[in-house]
Amino acid sequence: MRAPAVWRRISERPEGRLTSHFFGAMFDFGILTPAGADSFVHLSLGAIGALIALGLRFALAYAGKYAALSAARSPEPYRVALLGDDLFLIAFVMLLIALPTLVVSQSLFPDERDFRILGPLPVRRIVIFRAKLAALFLFMGMFAVVLHLSLTPLVFSMSVSPFSGSTALMRVTVWMIASVSASVFSVLAVTAVVGVLTLVLSRTRLYSLTALIKSLVFALLVVCIPFVFRLPGLGSAMARARPWLMFVPPAWFVGLERALLGSSDPWLRQLAALALTALALGALIVAVAYVLLFRHFEHLLLRPPSISAPWVVRHDAQRRTNVTSVDAADPHSVERSAFRAVYRFTSVTLRRSELHQGVLLGLSACGVALTSSRLVGAGWLDRNGSANPHAAFLEYLATWTPFALMFISGLSVRAAIALPMTHRANWIFRLTETDAARSEQMRAVERIVAAYAVGLPLVAALPVLWSVMGWKQAAIATLVAAFVGGVFVHAILLEWRRIPFTCSYMPGKRLIVYTVVLGFAAFVLFAAAGVRLARAALDATEMAIAIGLVLLVIAAILRRKRIAEWKETPLMFEDELPDQPLQLGL
Amino acid sequence: MLEARGLTKRYGGFLALDRVDFHVRRGEILGYLGPNGSGKSTTVNAVVGLIDPSAGSLWLDGIHMLDDPEGYKRRIGYVPEEPHLYTHLTAIEYLMLVGRLRGLSEPTLAARVPELLRLLLLWDSRYSTMASYSKGMRQRVLLAAALLHNPDLLVLDEPFSGLDVTAGLLFRTLLRMFVSGNRMVLFSTHRFDMVEQLCSRVVILSEGRIVAAHDVAALRVTGSPSLEDIFVRATHQTDFTPLARRILDVVEGS
Repeated sequence: MRAPAVWRRISERPEGRLTSHFFGAMFDFGILTPAGADSFVHLSLGAIGALIALGLRFALAYAGKYAALSAARSPEPYRVALLGDDLFLIAFVMLLIALPTLVVSQSLFPDERDFRILGPLPVRRIVIFRAKLAALFLFMGMFAVVLHLSLTPLVFSMSVSPFSGSTALMRVTVWMIASVSASVFSVLAVTAVVGVLTLVLSRTRLYSLTALIKSLVFALLVVCIPFVFRLPGLGSAMARARPWLMFVPPAWFVGLERALLGSSDPWLRQLAALALTALALGALIVAVAYVLLFRHFEHLLLRPPSISAPWVVRHDAQRRTNVTSVDAADPHSVERSAFRAVYRFTSVTLRRSELHQGVLLGLSACGVALTSSRLVGAGWLDRNGSANPHAAFLEYLATWTPFALMFISGLSVRAAIALPMTHRANWIFRLTETDAARSEQMRAVERIVAAYAVGLPLVAALPVLWSVMGWKQAAIATLVAAFVGGVFVHAILLEWRRIPFTCSYMPGKRLIVYTVVLGFAAFVLFAAAGVRLARAALDATEMAIAIGLVLLVIAAILRRKRIAEWKETPLMFEDELPDQPLQLGL
Repeated sequence: MLEARGLTKRYGGFLALDRVDFHVRRGEILGYLGPNGSGKSTTVNAVVGLIDPSAGSLWLDGIHMLDDPEGYKRRIGYVPEEPHLYTHLTAIEYLMLVGRLRGLSEPTLAARVPELLRLLLLWDSRYSTMASYSKGMRQRVLLAAALLHNPDLLVLDEPFSGLDVTAGLLFRTLLRMFVSGNRMVLFSTHRFDMVEQLCSRVVILSEGRIVAAHDVAALRVTGSPSLEDIFVRATHQTDFTPLARRILDVVEGS
């Protein structure tokens, strides 16, 4: 089939070719092989199909719900439900748009690579910038169109009601305007953050800080997911004009929608004004970033790596002159050098590598999302002592929280340190491996795993335990969880014989369904056993002491065994990644 | 003295090294020449202990590599051909990592690392991750890492690629002074000029075998063939004129 002549003319021009190149680059995260990138495109197309099917399924469910509400005598329940669902739909769209924007944020502005590769070619800079913008527009437009198309039947089913106050067509049109505005705001917010960082930071800091901010925002968005699904319940808060909603961006766009429908409610109009202001501000920041980058492209991108942009260079230089020593570590420290080497290498890599940080924080955020959503659902935020009908369940959930967090954090840290990083640089570890150093190096891994999989979750869960069961009970439950954690660290490091990031980890080595089922079963068993032990310890002091002692002894024996094994068994290394993609076995 | 006896490496059915014998004496820089794919990097990888030879043995000062592999590796400094580094680290972080892996104490590292960075003109970029370094800068980091623990034997695989003229001159002087302290250098390269200027002896490798071994000083005697002539003859290189002509024909469209 021949492409239309107009399209061919566009795609054959340098701008068209560049747009197509930049658009393709949005699907390239730099970690996939060509075959993997191809699979990712297919997976994306499958996800689009699934989204449309899901939209239709939800439309049917919502049609039933709104038919019942429309049959009621009073319009109030319908209006409250509509406000809640509008809030949910707009937040859902914003979230789904923000996630891919964040994923492709490295491609939002022309970068040094573009400059070095495209600069020597006979292509004007304006063409590069226009192509970059067009690619971004196409990419986000594709997501926005699919999302809005899949949600339109749902919004239509919500709008057919005698209480609606306007025609269904009108309501769908206005919802689409508000929702598209919300999507644009999501894209602008992420782009503005990236733009400001590009302009302000030195190239050295840009990579590490951008990675950190990207991972944190990604984790935050993941934590938001279950709460977005609770938004339909906030219809009454919207109807009562609760002031805290001013800090919830999706509420601004619900205000915009209502203002466009002709509402004269001052509260909704105020929210609409906020939406427009936020849009204008985001657009302004992005426009300024693009213009500054366009005008000072060479200056910004080719400045020495350690030098910031001219507008911040003075401050930067001032701060750096204070740093003179190489290593502030205490030379009399008892820690062996091999331990330090691996400990620092691991922590620096987790701090700087976008991929590893994304896996670590993204998976951990799932744990935070799961536990916090369940706690909020059980009334943790508005608990009222014994008057809370869910008091017993809440206590169970509070005891469950540290174990759930430990399990998911454990999985995430194990996955993050198993992923490779510059595998061809491994030779330095291979050259320096000794029997004496090996167990120290593995102890460094153990410490990082213990801190992240046990220490952090316990610190995060302590306020929950304290608020639900008081400090004494919370302390006992935390101690039991810590002892269980000691055993859990052994499970995480079972058969671990590598320096972090020096071997390839390929998901799909086993049948993926088997892995998921096994992981889920392990999670349920671990959390249930942990809660059981903690509850038993909370019931009687003698039992608490006995459980603590037994767990302590088991953890100590396992650790001793582990260290002995590390001393004897050589480390694993992989200098070459597999050249063939592994079958997922779906 | 470093001694390789009957060094052989097979990858499946492919023979990468075939019974290679050579030695590097103390106070000597041995040039290791050969075309691409001749087995130079395989030899280097075997000497530094990154790969196990299929047959043959390596001895350092009379001690078999397998008798004390850790002690053997501790006495070697290595600069690989490609600057494979953890580029998300800064030069300081990388050198500290290497130093700690080599078991150097913190005060020793605190004294040596900044000094090496200053002397190798890397001090100004000490806060930048090595992702932003040029190839020459990365080579300098690798040289600093190879020297950090004061090794007896330096194994260099094309160490001059990417270096500017000044750094190249510094490296050459440094290598001469290094071996004058009764130490050894195994210098694998493609460059005849470097071998002629630096090495006392040269070994030429082709298709996994040693095809020539010469005293470089003897080559400087008037009337003797140049190193390039010896190389071309030993490795059966042909006249490149027809090939060069064909390349130009392709781009000129004739």
